[in-house]
Amino acid sequence: MLKRLSFGQYRHKDSLIHELDPRIKIIAVAILSASAFLISSYYKMALLSLLVLLLIAIAKINFSSLIRNIMPLSSIIIFILIMYLLFSRDQLGNGILSIWRFLLFVAIALILTFTTTINSMVAGIEKMLGPLKYFKVNPRTFALLISLTIRFIPSFFLYAERIRDARLSRLGNLKKAKHIKLLFIPLLDRVFKSASTISDAMAARIYTAERKSYFNNIRLGAFDYFSLLVLMAAVSVILI
Amino acid sequence: MIEAKNLCFQYEEEAILQNISLSIKEGSYTAFIGANGSGKTTLAKHFNALLMPTKGTILVDNIDTKKYPFAVRKKVGFVFQNPEDQLVHSIVEEDIAFGLENIGMETRAMKERVNFMLKELAIGHLAKKNVNALSMGQKQLTALAGVLAMNPKYVVFDEPTTMLDNRNKKNILSIINTINEKNNIGIIMVTNVLDDIKYAEKVVVLKNGKMIFNDKKSKLSQKIIREAGLDA
Repeated sequence: MLKRLSFGQYRHKDSLIHELDPRIKIIAVAILSASAFLISSYYKMALLSLLVLLLIAIAKINFSSLIRNIMPLSSIIIFILIMYLLFSRDQLGNGILSIWRFLLFVAIALILTFTTTINSMVAGIEKMLGPLKYFKVNPRTFALLISLTIRFIPSFFLYAERIRDARLSRLGNLKKAKHIKLLFIPLLDRVFKSASTISDAMAARIYTAERKSYFNNIRLGAFDYFSLLVLMAAVSVILI
Repeated sequence: MIEAKNLCFQYEEEAILQNISLSIKEGSYTAFIGANGSGKTTLAKHFNALLMPTKGTILVDNIDTKKYPFAVRKKVGFVFQNPEDQLVHSIVEEDIAFGLENIGMETRAMKERVNFMLKELAIGHLAKKNVNALSMGQKQLTALAGVLAMNPKYVVFDEPTTMLDNRNKKNILSIINTINEKNNIGIIMVTNVLDDIKYAEKVVVLKNGKMIFNDKKSKLSQKIIREAGLDA
């Protein structure tokens, strides 16, 4: 189950959204997420969901892989629902809206990560965070930090699954707190070892905080601006 | 030429490497063997300036690793044991380009170099693939392409076959031999598997941080192998 999780993993497809400049996609994620946050009616939420579904279709993202990535979050959703049922039954409508919003956030983030390679995302974030260098924050390091986190999500789950299998094969009971501790300590150890090796591997390939050139040299074009305008217009119609 | 002169490395009071002096010629194939904990990986990391000697010096083409680590890393590439942990980007071609971006290669030249490496290692079909979807053998080839793209003079391989099945093992050893013979790249093979040293000309044997043998492979005796703890 965990092995099939592909959160944040780019899929190469020939789509209009794949073609967009990563900066536009990041701004679009911010606009769509902010809209989901502002909306408080089922009707408008349904319209926003339709817009997100349309974007998923344009991006040629497989719905089954989308569902597969949302499924591991079902326990959180059930937990929120139970909390509303137990402690705030009169606010259940708001609870459903919160869950819906949460699912939309995940779907919006997945559109970005499914259609943008880490290298492009790094380049996009780096250029957007350019002004941060005046505050002595290095945009390249910051952007790479985010992208490495996304890159290693599947590896993290893979390690967790291996350790869990090893524990279960020796009759461990992962429902007991003591046994859960035995899962997390080796997992942390493995993650720190991985982090140490990746930092060595980056140093070995002469990584420095200073950016010298780009493999994906991104440049904003007319289509990027046009797409952003269309999105902003659609979101405005939904909000108003 | 890579030269180690009276190299010592200490970590938290413990002497990991003691008084190691050796030289590795350009275009040669040298294997470093020893049991686990003998210090071979620690020594290999000195060649790429990932570690600095506590005492003594390492010179790569007369460049001191302590003074100019970046210049040394341009000359000496490093392929790690676990390919899973050395791929920085999620797409094969982008990961191969990572080192080239760091040395500031121009975008068009970079794309040409990446395509050349993909073709050279016969992994062109993987160019747009996500690295998480690759087999261990394909990941190791991607890691190797990323290192070779930087056009190094020497490449260190730290137990490159450990995570591979037999077919991939043979394939990677044959590729390493080809890049040594065809491109005249100096190979430094770190391993504790004797099968992995079949193409090596010279062997260095380490035991508890000390060098107990440094000569042609033909002179390596069973006695030395036993002493190093590598006999079956």
